[in-house]
Amino acid sequence: MISSQPQWIRHLIHGLYLAILILGAVTMFVPFLWSLSTALKPLSESLAFPPRWWPHPVDVQNFISIWKLVPVARWFGNSFLVASIVTVLNLVFDSMAGYALARINFPGKNFVFIGILSMLMVPFQSVMLPVYILLRALGLLDSYAGMILPMAVSAMGVFLMRQAFLTIPQEMEDAATIDGAGRLRMFVQISLPMVIPNMLTLALMMFLASWNNFLLPLLVANRTHLWTLPLGIVMFQQEYFVNWPLLMAAGVIATLPIALVYLLFQKWFIQGVASTGIK
Amino acid sequence: MVKVVFNKPNQGLALGTSMTGRAQASRNGVTGYLFTAPTIILLALFTAGPAFYAFYLSFFSWSLLNHMHFVGLSNYPQLLELPLFWIAVRNSVVFAFVVVPTQTLIALGIAAILNQKLPARGFFRLAFFFPAISSSAVISIIFMWIYNKFGLLNSFLLLVGIHGPDWLSNPSFALSAIMLMNIWTTAGYFTVVFLAGLQAIPVSLYEAAAIDGAGSWRMFSRITVPLLRPTTFFVVVMGIIGTLQMFDQSFILSQGTGGPLHSTTTLVLLVYQFIFSYGKVGLGAAATVLLFMLILAVTLAANRWLGQTVDY
Repeated sequence: MISSQPQWIRHLIHGLYLAILILGAVTMFVPFLWSLSTALKPLSESLAFPPRWWPHPVDVQNFISIWKLVPVARWFGNSFLVASIVTVLNLVFDSMAGYALARINFPGKNFVFIGILSMLMVPFQSVMLPVYILLRALGLLDSYAGMILPMAVSAMGVFLMRQAFLTIPQEMEDAATIDGAGRLRMFVQISLPMVIPNMLTLALMMFLASWNNFLLPLLVANRTHLWTLPLGIVMFQQEYFVNWPLLMAAGVIATLPIALVYLLFQKWFIQGVASTGIK
Repeated sequence: MVKVVFNKPNQGLALGTSMTGRAQASRNGVTGYLFTAPTIILLALFTAGPAFYAFYLSFFSWSLLNHMHFVGLSNYPQLLELPLFWIAVRNSVVFAFVVVPTQTLIALGIAAILNQKLPARGFFRLAFFFPAISSSAVISIIFMWIYNKFGLLNSFLLLVGIHGPDWLSNPSFALSAIMLMNIWTTAGYFTVVFLAGLQAIPVSLYEAAAIDGAGSWRMFSRITVPLLRPTTFFVVVMGIIGTLQMFDQSFILSQGTGGPLHSTTTLVLLVYQFIFSYGKVGLGAAATVLLFMLILAVTLAANRWLGQTVDY
C-alpha cells in the first residue's frame, strides 16, 4: 500500500504489524507444540504444575504403548481407506457433473445447477437425523459404505470443477468434434488433462474432509474395528481420560500425515479456499 | 454466497457435424444427464431427500424400536414447551453471535496486515491456516488438556496472578471455552478467504487515493471494507452456518452430555441426544426442521445487510 507518511512512521507501523503476526503465529502453534511436548513425557511428569515445556528426558514410550492398548493401526487404515475412496469418487463424479454443467447444453441444465448449488445450504450436521435413519434402513450401519456414500459427491466440488471447465477455450473441443470424438473421449482425453491443478485441489479438500470427519463415523460405526482415527481417539479419551500423554500421542499420530501433506501442497490448499470462497 | 455466471450457449454445434440440430440436442440431453446422474442421485439421496424426510419424520412419534405412530403437528408444541430446547437454542445463538463477529474481525485484520509488503508472509499464512485443516476431534482433545484445572491455560493465568477455574466443568465457563477454541480454529481459514478478496482489489485505487492524500486508515475504511463486501458476506454466512451446526466440539468436550448443566448443549447435539439418549426421533426431526428455518432466516437477514455488491 502506498501512503504519504514519513519513512520512520512506516517502519514503526511495519514493526507493529510484524509483532501482531508473530504473536498470532505463536498462538496458532502453542496448542500443537504443547500436545507434542506432553506426548513425549511420562504421565507423572505431564501432571506437574506449573507445567514444564521441555520433556526431560524425552520419552517416546507413549508412542509405543498406544499401539498395544488400542488398534491405532487399524483406525489409521480405516481413515486412509475411507478418505481415499471418498476422494476418488468425488474426483470422478464431481468432475463429470462439473463438465456437463460447463460444457454440455442439455434441457434443464440451469435447474440442475441451481439445485446442486442450493445443497451448499444444507450442511451434513443439519441432516444428521434423517441420514442416520436412512443409513439404518438401507442396512449401511457398521459398514465402510455407510461412511463413504454420504460423502461421495460434494456440491462444492461440482461447483469448483464447473468453474475450472468454463475456463477451457471452446476451440479445443471444436477441433475434437471435427475429428469425430465422442463426448466421453473428449471429456477424458482433452478436457480433464487441462484441469489437473483443480482436481488436485479437489482431491486435497475431500481427503481432508473425510480424514477429519467425526460425526459420520460416530453415527455409522459402532464396532471398534470400523472406527476411524478421530472417532477412535475420542472414544479412547472417554476410556483413558486421565492419561493425557497417551492421548496427545494419538493426536500427534493423527495430525502428522495431514501436516506433511499440507506442507507439500500448501499452494493448492490456499487455492482451494480462494476458488471456493470468492468466485 | 456464490455469484452464478451462466455460460453462453455452446457454439460448437455450428461446426461441421453431420447430425441435425435436433438429434444433437437430444443426444446432448442424454449425455448431460448421464454425466450429472451420479451427483443428482447421491445428493438427492443424502442431502435433499433427508431434508424433506426430516419434515416427514417430524409428524411421527418413534423411538427407533417401536412402531412409528402418526401424531400430526403435536411434536412442535411439545418441543417448544421443552426448557432444554430453549437452552439449546440459546446456546447455539449465543455461540454464533459471539464467534462470528469475533472471527470475522480478527480474520479481516490479519488479512489486511498480511496484504502489506512484510517479510515471511508465506510463513504466516501457513501458520494461520494450519488449525483449519486439523481434525476437530484432535483439536478438541488437545484443548481439553489445555483447559484442565492444572492445564496450560491456568498456568499462563497464574503468571498474572489469576487462579483459573476448571474451565470445562464450570457451567459459567464451558461454552466460552468452546467459543475461544472455535475462533482459534476458524479465524485462520477466513483470513485466507479475506486475503484472496483483498488481492482482487486493484492497486490503482489505492494509488489514486494516496495522490489525494488519504491515510492508511481512510483507505482501509473507504476502499478496502466496501470493496470486500461480497467476501465479507461469504465469511459471515459461512460463519453463521458453521456455528449454528456446531456439534463435534460440544460433543467431545462434554463427553456427549452437553454439560455441565446443559451449558454446552447445542441444537445439533440436542438432535443427536433425541435419537440416541431419549429415543424421540419425531422430536429430533422437529428440531431439525426448526434448525433449517433458523439458518434460512439468518442467511436471508445477512443477505439484506451485506448482499448487495458495490461497484466502483
